[in-house]
Amino acid sequence: MTRTDPEPRIPDPIELDAAEEARLRAAAGLVPARPESGGEYAGFDQVGIPDRPPQTDREREVYSLDEGEMLINMGPQHPSTHGVMRLVVKVRGEIIVDIDPVLGYLHRGIEKLCENATYTTVLTYVDPMDYLSTMHNEHAPAIAFEKLYGIKAPPRAEYIRALVVELNRVFSHGLMMGFLALDMGGLTPILYSFINRDEIVDMLSAISGQRMLFNFFRVGGVNWDTNDEFLSRLGTWRSRVLKNIEMNEDMITGNEIFRSRTIGMGTLTGDQAISLGVTGPNLRASGVPFDVRKAKPYSIYDELEFDVITHEGGDSYSRYLQRIAEIKQSIHLIDQIIDKMPHGPVQAQVPGIIRPRPGRAYGAVESPRGLYSVYAISDGGPTPYRFRMRDPSFISLQALPKLMPGRLVADTMAVMASLDPVMGGVDK
Amino acid sequence: MRNLWTDEDTVEFSIPGDRNVEVLGTLRDDPDLAFFMLADAAAVDYGVDAHFEVVYHLFSWKHPGWLRVRARVDRSEPRIRSITDMWEGAMFHEREMYDMMGIVFEGNRDLRRIYMSPDYRSFPLRKDFVLPDDAADSPAAGVNPLERPETWDLSHFREAVAVTFPPSDLRGDAPGEGVEGGDFADSESRPR
Amino acid sequence: MAVDRPTTTDAHGNGNPIVIPDQAANDELLREFGMEEHPQGGFHGLLEVIPTKADYILDLIRANSLWPLLSGLSCCAIEMMSTATSVNDIDRFGMFPFRASPRQADVLIVAGTLTTKMAGPLVRLWEQMPEPKWCVAMGTCTTSGGRFKRSYSVVQGVDRVMPVDVYVPGCPPRPEGLIYGMMKLHELVKQRRGEWRTYVDRGPQRTRWEGDVR
Repeated sequence: MTRTDPEPRIPDPIELDAAEEARLRAAAGLVPARPESGGEYAGFDQVGIPDRPPQTDREREVYSLDEGEMLINMGPQHPSTHGVMRLVVKVRGEIIVDIDPVLGYLHRGIEKLCENATYTTVLTYVDPMDYLSTMHNEHAPAIAFEKLYGIKAPPRAEYIRALVVELNRVFSHGLMMGFLALDMGGLTPILYSFINRDEIVDMLSAISGQRMLFNFFRVGGVNWDTNDEFLSRLGTWRSRVLKNIEMNEDMITGNEIFRSRTIGMGTLTGDQAISLGVTGPNLRASGVPFDVRKAKPYSIYDELEFDVITHEGGDSYSRYLQRIAEIKQSIHLIDQIIDKMPHGPVQAQVPGIIRPRPGRAYGAVESPRGLYSVYAISDGGPTPYRFRMRDPSFISLQALPKLMPGRLVADTMAVMASLDPVMGGVDK
Repeated sequence: MRNLWTDEDTVEFSIPGDRNVEVLGTLRDDPDLAFFMLADAAAVDYGVDAHFEVVYHLFSWKHPGWLRVRARVDRSEPRIRSITDMWEGAMFHEREMYDMMGIVFEGNRDLRRIYMSPDYRSFPLRKDFVLPDDAADSPAAGVNPLERPETWDLSHFREAVAVTFPPSDLRGDAPGEGVEGGDFADSESRPR
Repeated sequence: MAVDRPTTTDAHGNGNPIVIPDQAANDELLREFGMEEHPQGGFHGLLEVIPTKADYILDLIRANSLWPLLSGLSCCAIEMMSTATSVNDIDRFGMFPFRASPRQADVLIVAGTLTTKMAGPLVRLWEQMPEPKWCVAMGTCTTSGGRFKRSYSVVQGVDRVMPVDVYVPGCPPRPEGLIYGMMKLHELVKQRRGEWRTYVDRGPQRTRWEGDVR
């Protein structure tokens, strides 16, 4: 005896396309799967990212969902180690369609605080911006303030500045290697990077007194001269560093998983990079030989011999190789600096509270992340009138929404780690 | 404040705000000038009764020194055209200028706040936004009794100090007395 | 509730009274929303109950395997990572796994500056952590606002938004300093002196209107 099916059954929705599914659901008297669009909230996902109407064109573009798309929040707290950044990722399945970075979770108002601080205090306020390259953070304002005040730092101070700046570059690039591997799940290279960093940071603490936010630069020079402990640690480190870097490199560079996750991933052409404002190793890995130390030499870089390294390719692997090459270049520079360092005072005679002439000055340095520059306006008083920092990580982050569409979600962090942003600098 | 000294490795000139796109376009496209890279775009507030300025720094291989282009923007009606068509990387610069100063960039497809929350109602880097003198008055604060000295209970202060600086036969009653030269053996390093 | 709360004048000497908040007003507000403090929740006071041997061992177990939450916000996070890696190893104290999910973490080490935009997500992380939980404020930015004392967007100390057990000063604190702070936390854990408060959610309370019979 046959029985007809008592209830109308809808076939498994995976087999249907949207129109048919909607028709069948309506015929069965079920509520529509997706609420009718229209009004102010047109296109917004009803789950609530974000919970107010879109304000701009781009926001509307990102937050309106087609069929099969979904918004995922890679929230301010996530296992990647760059800091607090939020990425709203629009995915279709596992493939990224669009990314909207939401910044500002670490915005501390440093520019405004600097307008109320004396020039020497400003050099301490800028430390925690890009906290992995503190010496560069202080170098750019020191250049700008020395231009405004009209003095030059003595030659020994300039050499010491270049020395600590290159040391900072070495450990920052070393950390990038570790973070890149960590974001892909490799837990060992980060340990090697931190061993290297701790050695360098102990050395720098012998000269500046602080392990991380070195308050070392002054307007007119540096604070302390080199001492025995610093030089002895420097010698010990120098004898070991190339081997350490190579140990770390061997673990990562030939690794099959690493290569398949970075080669061809996140490719930036040179023109795209320039248009996006990307600078530093990211730009040089795309083939453009722009290095502030060569293009606009500051400090003593015109007396040192080095070439601008570039790589063709512009993908994550090239950016990684670029940074390793720059570590070796920095070690070569450190050797030259130690060779050539003159004797002399390390700080020019400046009063405690300096009052530079009214004017404008621009100081730019090459930080491990790119072009870091300071635009300072002085009105003749003890505090700057306007203190503006241009941070390279902030601008390089704009590359992320252009690089990621078409890739998988898991590659987001890998590509971001290869761009090496530091949230302190991004959010100021 | 407009015609001040400027650093010697930068060439600087001012333009009115409505010509920024054509000037920057010429600087970039002209083959002799070739300022292909936008290094920085900043906003300056020259005072409550003065104007704003949007300052662009450009770089070219063919010219030594940076180029600074200062575009003057009216304070009562702070609008200027956006340069995101020429350099995509100006997007975040302009968003930050809007967030901090309130300058509206026409033609920018994504002009929303980048650092502060989207419902923040003020523009922090303007000169009429004054940082509070007392931190507890800042909008980010509440009342923390430890930061209010008037709430400290000092009745046991002397006992607490005596624990740290115990009276001994070598010393007088207060710290600093007793041993010759004070608390510090080297009298030159005694705090004065 | 007309309770005589201590008042003082504000720092400018204008004479405007500032009410120093205590927990009573907060509790009142929370009760309106249906959240009441659990009478046995949390470990309040010093050894409220006489510990048995099992409690003692349990506290030892908790202390020696405190799993931190990966909540590094800024520069102190790098020093926290340096504490966690080979040279200054807190793995020897049991704190190797920095959990990414708050549901699996014991300690929230707030490392880095807390801004007003991030305060919401951080409090949400704290609330998601299951009890017993402890909070360590690492660095001066979380202790009191630190070098960003007058900033318009920095919360002046994490204790304005969540209860803190151990304050580790420094900018950033040396890894040895953070380890010292964790040792202090071990003492706290073994003495059951946590600062967290447990709330019971009784659901939305019905507003009382005039003329209500029920």
